Amino acid sequence: MTEPTDPIEAALAEGRTALTEAEAKGLLAERGLTVPDGETVRSPDAAVEAAESLGYPVVVKVAAPSVQHKSEWAGGIGVHVNLEGPDAVRTAAAEILEAAAERDVDAAVLVEEAVDLDAGLEVIVGGTRDPSFGPTVLVGLGGVTVEVLQDTSHRLAPISTAEAVAMTRDLEASPLFDGYRGSPAVDREAVAEAIVTVGDLLDAREEITEIEVNPLLAQSDRAVALDALVSLDD
Amino acid sequence: MSVTNLFDPSGIAVVGASATPGKIGYEAMSNAIEFGGPVYPVNPSASGTVFDREFVSSVTEIDGDVDLALLCVPASVVPDVVAECGEAGIGAAIIFAGGFSEAGPEGEELQERLVAAADEGDVSLLGPNTSGFLAPSKDLYATFATDIESIPAGNLAIVAQSGGLAYAVAFQAENAGIGISAMVGLGNRANVGFREAIEYFDGDAETDAILLHVEGTDRGRDLLETCRESETPVVAYNVGEQDVGDFAESHTGALTGEYELYEAGFAQYGVPTVRSSPELLDAGQALATCPEPDGPNVGVVTAQAGPGIAITDRLKAAGARLPSLTEETQDVVEEILPGITFSANPVDTARPMPEFGDVVAAVARDDNVDIVLVYELYEGGLGYPTEALEGLVDEVEKPIVFATGGPRAILDEKLPALEDLGIPTYRAPERAADGVGALVQYARRNADPELAADEGVSADD
Repeated sequence: MTEPTDPIEAALAEGRTALTEAEAKGLLAERGLTVPDGETVRSPDAAVEAAESLGYPVVVKVAAPSVQHKSEWAGGIGVHVNLEGPDAVRTAAAEILEAAAERDVDAAVLVEEAVDLDAGLEVIVGGTRDPSFGPTVLVGLGGVTVEVLQDTSHRLAPISTAEAVAMTRDLEASPLFDGYRGSPAVDREAVAEAIVTVGDLLDAREEITEIEVNPLLAQSDRAVALDALVSLDD
Repeated sequence: MSVTNLFDPSGIAVVGASATPGKIGYEAMSNAIEFGGPVYPVNPSASGTVFDREFVSSVTEIDGDVDLALLCVPASVVPDVVAECGEAGIGAAIIFAGGFSEAGPEGEELQERLVAAADEGDVSLLGPNTSGFLAPSKDLYATFATDIESIPAGNLAIVAQSGGLAYAVAFQAENAGIGISAMVGLGNRANVGFREAIEYFDGDAETDAILLHVEGTDRGRDLLETCRESETPVVAYNVGEQDVGDFAESHTGALTGEYELYEAGFAQYGVPTVRSSPELLDAGQALATCPEPDGPNVGVVTAQAGPGIAITDRLKAAGARLPSLTEETQDVVEEILPGITFSANPVDTARPMPEFGDVVAAVARDDNVDIVLVYELYEGGLGYPTEALEGLVDEVEKPIVFATGGPRAILDEKLPALEDLGIPTYRAPERAADGVGALVQYARRNADPELAADEGVSADD
């Protein structure tokens, strides 16, 4: 499979309104965001091969432009986490490809190194092109926390790293970044760099309407984008 | 297009002027005639005079100096009248009628026709859907609202999206004896919007602070840029916090409400924000009166501890710091108040005393202090330390803010002397804290980036 030089142009040419996870991660990684090592494959055998070269455990996910909510897709088989060996990987990839065939979805399989969620703080970093304000960015704690508490901080992009650090300090949850109950402090600056990257990307590419990195796992020495969504102007 | 025609006209036409009290055309005429320049009533179906001025049939028939027209006519004829204004060389019009873009597709179409007519004739439009504006020092009352002449002239310009809110603030100012340089209701902002109004009042010599009320605009970033470019301090009251959209499947868009963007944007662009119209006025008073603060460090001096605690509480919530006083200041204070007081910050003297002004001066001269807030309940035998504070603001080049309580008649008599020293006065402890809160926000949001590094924010890029 040949990688298109510009995933945004390729997606738009195909009439898509979103990039695949791999494309989105690629675009962000190009600008310095850390993403898990991974490979997009088309068969269970290739998935095992990829897993072997990445090293176990791995995560196996459905990769298709039309599937945005992977964990809810096909009765919950779109995402398999923490797979420890070749059999598990082969089964997971086969299930995904079968379900895709049944649904007439042109799907591939994304195999990625697994990242231990307990070894970090789940954060959401997003960016949206507001009709009145233009490119804007946000940060909050990931998952349920952001929905229930709406503990978020916003800025108009582009912004400096210092300002992005200040955004993380705006959060009620800010003390969690400094470590709690024995867990280590997370790399606030790395989260800030992720916010800056999202803002810069949105600022640079007018075709993008929205970016969501959720979760961004903030760890003691880095922040890694475990999932990413880039929506395009249709 | 020049908004000078609008805000500083040489002559006024009242289109749709009427001799019938209670009609908009009558009330607007009765306000307009206060103006020192020529005022012409225009109405094709009226004859004779109104307020001793002869009716003219059309703006194109006026023989004299006119650059502002008040349009007291129904929405449907407004575009045609604006076209006539353009032909007559009248560079500005105020449109009181509603029924334009706020009123559905037909209204939107009418507003498009209106804007086209204004573009063609180079006419600046205030409104439509506005109650107009007033500038008391010019006796310029370009509005149909009544009983407005008592609003005193001063140095605050109120620029509100809503005319109703503009009046709400203007009358609060009047009730408190605070003067305004202008009060503007922008309405639908057909071609004069936040940018044009803020730029005008930034350049207005009478205006020392701009009080902004915002409900929403499709040019949010432009508004913020305009505020940042303004040399005159701007403080904003942004309404709509509770108007949050439904959660969508994708978080980012749903989490990014317009209110959040305004709040974030005002902070990013150096503009203090408030959460109510009284706070808008309190903040404006402090920003207009005081020298620009160097930082967020507040020295509080009180003659009663309770109000001092209420003040401190509110100040901290506003992001103020209450630094320790230097040893030098502590020595001075302890000499005045031997042994009995808490000579840290706040400094509480426990009751008013003859040397109260000296304590205030000592705190004001403290290098750790950027802003001084004083609270003192009025006490007849001692009065206010006006003499001790004379020249202090200029000497220290820091904001000094005074709050007090006492019988209204006494405050009305005594406080102007403090105001004359460049010390804004407040009649509730929390309101003074709100005024200082705006100064603190201003200092923080406009801080030198290198100083911001001291606050725990790295400035390494």
